[in-house]
Amino acid sequence: MSQSLRPYLQCVRSSLTAALSLSNFASQASERHNVPEIEAQSCPEVLLNPLTISRNENEKVFIEPSINSVRISIKIKQADEIENILVHKFTRFLNQRAEAFFILRRKAVKGYDISFLITNFHTEEMLKHKLVDFIIQFMEEVDKEISEMKLFLNARARFVAESFLTPFD
Amino acid sequence: MANVNWRTINVDALDPDSPANFDLSSLTPAVAPVATADVQALAGQIRQLMRGGDNEGALQGALENPPYGADDRGKEVHLAAVIEILQSIRQSDMSPILQRIYSAPGGSEALDVLMKYIYKGMAQSSTVSATRNITPQATGFSQIHSRGGGEGGGQAMSVLLSWHEKLVEIAGPGSIVRVMTDRRTV
Repeated sequence: MSQSLRPYLQCVRSSLTAALSLSNFASQASERHNVPEIEAQSCPEVLLNPLTISRNENEKVFIEPSINSVRISIKIKQADEIENILVHKFTRFLNQRAEAFFILRRKAVKGYDISFLITNFHTEEMLKHKLVDFIIQFMEEVDKEISEMKLFLNARARFVAESFLTPFD
Repeated sequence: MANVNWRTINVDALDPDSPANFDLSSLTPAVAPVATADVQALAGQIRQLMRGGDNEGALQGALENPPYGADDRGKEVHLAAVIEILQSIRQSDMSPILQRIYSAPGGSEALDVLMKYIYKGMAQSSTVSATRNITPQATGFSQIHSRGGGEGGGQAMSVLLSWHEKLVEIAGPGSIVRVMTDRRTV
């Protein structure tokens, strides 16, 4: 792990651990409803101050806590246009399968690439430190995945170009 | 009125008793308004201390008088001063300084304020340079080129990140919770 990545992930880890203190909270607007307050935004007093953690302007994590839910948005590093496309395809692939991921939000928050929504029901049935570990691991893996895909893409493009141009040799 | 789509009107916002209209100022402890000129004077004093080599005193002074009641302009001035102090302190001095501030009376509050400024610093510089410039690859085949692009503001961020790490070690995760819940923003 590179030198500057470690404090970044450490910072995300401690902030998430602090933010994931959730409790059950029924909706104040409609009876017998229980909605994630950070999504409903119907009562300002249960929303807490959002936190931004950034490693540089291309890699950021945005944590929006509330009384019964936390929204975590990640901006994945994109150095050039190829990575831009790859990240878009990759996050779209995940978002379409959001049901299987439980905490994945179907749509990313504006300005970020992928978002997670953790409610008090998730923290009740899953272990909190494992949830934090999952997010950290996801952030580590996704960078690796994108660079790998970029290498594959370049290798394949080279191979295709070579085989396309052989008849003209 | 015929043009207004009444189905999209948020009726909760019009009801003074609804939770959507909760008076947030009742949760905020009373803070005295601070004029921008006062904040600037304080920032000047802090810089004076820093120039004299007393980084710790400068940090302590900056954290003891956070301008909660100032407007956005004043808050920015103070944030710039705090960030400047943080960047001028060497990495090996961070933990001892934090330890000393923590053990002083009112130290826990001072470190909470510092935590607020660290998060604000990370949030602020990312909004200033929001426009990303993607360098188009002319050739497309640059496998040797590392993915190091876009290190804009990376240096300042890594200082804040290492401060954050040291601060959590000393003040604990509770200080992060207090940043999230405190309605007095810096």
